[in-house]
Amino acid sequence: MSSSKPAVEVHDIKKEFYLPHHTNNSIKTAITQVFKPKEKGGNMFYALNGVSFNVEKGDFFGILGRNGSGKSTLLKIISDIYRPTSGYVKHRGKLVSFIELGVGFKPALTGRENVYLNCALLGFSKQEVDSMYDEIVEFAELEKFMDQKLKNYSSGMKVRLAFSVSIRAKADILILDEVLAVGDAAFKEKCNDYFRSLIDDKKTVILVTHSMAAVEEFCNKAVLIENGKIAFEGDAKEAAQKYLELFGNTKKAREANRLSD
Amino acid sequence: MKTKLFARYRYSLILLRELVITDFKLRYQDSLLGYLWALLRPLFLFAIIYVVFVYILKIGKGVEHWAVALLLGMMLWSFFTEITKQGLKAIVKNGGIIRKINFPKYIIVIATSLSALINLSINLIVIVIFAISNHVPFTWNMLWVFPIIVEIYFFALGLAFLLGTLNVKYRDVDYIWDIVTQGLFYGSAIMFPITEVVKHSKKMAELLLLNPICQAISDARHLAVNPRELPMMGNLTDNILLIVAPFVITLLIFVFGALYFRARSPYFAEDI
Repeated sequence: MSSSKPAVEVHDIKKEFYLPHHTNNSIKTAITQVFKPKEKGGNMFYALNGVSFNVEKGDFFGILGRNGSGKSTLLKIISDIYRPTSGYVKHRGKLVSFIELGVGFKPALTGRENVYLNCALLGFSKQEVDSMYDEIVEFAELEKFMDQKLKNYSSGMKVRLAFSVSIRAKADILILDEVLAVGDAAFKEKCNDYFRSLIDDKKTVILVTHSMAAVEEFCNKAVLIENGKIAFEGDAKEAAQKYLELFGNTKKAREANRLSD
Repeated sequence: MKTKLFARYRYSLILLRELVITDFKLRYQDSLLGYLWALLRPLFLFAIIYVVFVYILKIGKGVEHWAVALLLGMMLWSFFTEITKQGLKAIVKNGGIIRKINFPKYIIVIATSLSALINLSINLIVIVIFAISNHVPFTWNMLWVFPIIVEIYFFALGLAFLLGTLNVKYRDVDYIWDIVTQGLFYGSAIMFPITEVVKHSKKMAELLLLNPICQAISDARHLAVNPRELPMMGNLTDNILLIVAPFVITLLIFVFGALYFRARSPYFAEDI
């Protein structure tokens, strides 16, 4: 059996981005740039510089890091949206990622039409959506608004609809990026219920978040990314502690300084 | 085997279906006549060209059923431009999804091409009605129009892949292609019979017919509308190389476009 093998293997991922000093997206600049060495027009930047870890089956795995630490790039590489410059990612089982809620929503279409479109992006056929449509609408509490165009929805309604569709995704490995950061208290509670159900179903989950409370509550393991490298890997609670030590303190320290002033 | 193949492309097929439907709904939304515009647009364009070139300038006068040939040519042309122009923009237009979800990118381009194919099918009905009312004699040769449509489809799709990929990096491609299609429109002998060019210079006509669109439209007009007065490449020359060339060009463009697209598509998310 392959059950002993990790669900996701991240092996020595490097991702290089070219940072131009001038944006270069017309043919004229491209032609003039050809004669200049690349370094003059910009420089190379490693968003990720040799990141490796394994996510075992059934893990609720946290990825922590400050803004710009490279965690979103990492998430996109695991989701196969970006190609790494070197290294590889292997995953066993169906992988679905939510970098953002409501991707592909069309404001000019009705809620109903958007449900079908969004479900198609998740791989559901029309027949499958037909059979779960009522549940999706009920969960989103939008029964009265489904024939209304999405541009007339409030942002809260959109998020509810997107979330209600997203949780239908049938996957062995789920990748979630900060999606829980939006919405009111009731919505957050629904998200938390969903996370608990994922743990009960023994799903493999990779979660990127800034909320140490969420990490401590749901994750069993975590990595801490800083400057494109792993600064800590191991138990989720320890990782959260480490995060607060490294970055939380600066804020606390600043506050302490302010108080002493 | 069949089910395995279906399972492999299941996701692509589901997505393709939904994208075509969405494209349809969005395109004619909030317009009173809605989908009728897919029909009315080429018809009005045809009416203008008919009045100017046939009625006033007397181009194509004396050629039997020239009006039907003109309409057929224009509908095939608008099929070609719709695929290339929409396909060219498709990747950039869907940048939001591409940056957030991993899915086979070619689906987007195929979806726009299928919308164009649906439009063409409806246009073909109009042409058939127009041909019947003009007493164009029915022949089995008319069925050649379908393989000709397949040729145009692959030529246009290859270009859409190629231009759509280039457009991700260089948005100039959109403007350049606009100009190129203008030139191609006049260079493909759409508003006038190819005989007008032959009269002027046979070499010139052969050169124009190397362009797959010009060749496809001349073939369609010759085979389906008027075999006596509207020639195709085979009537002008015995040189087999010249006859085969447009098909080779079509194949090369398609293969190159598809391969280039496939090679670049993993980087669309970061390049858009």
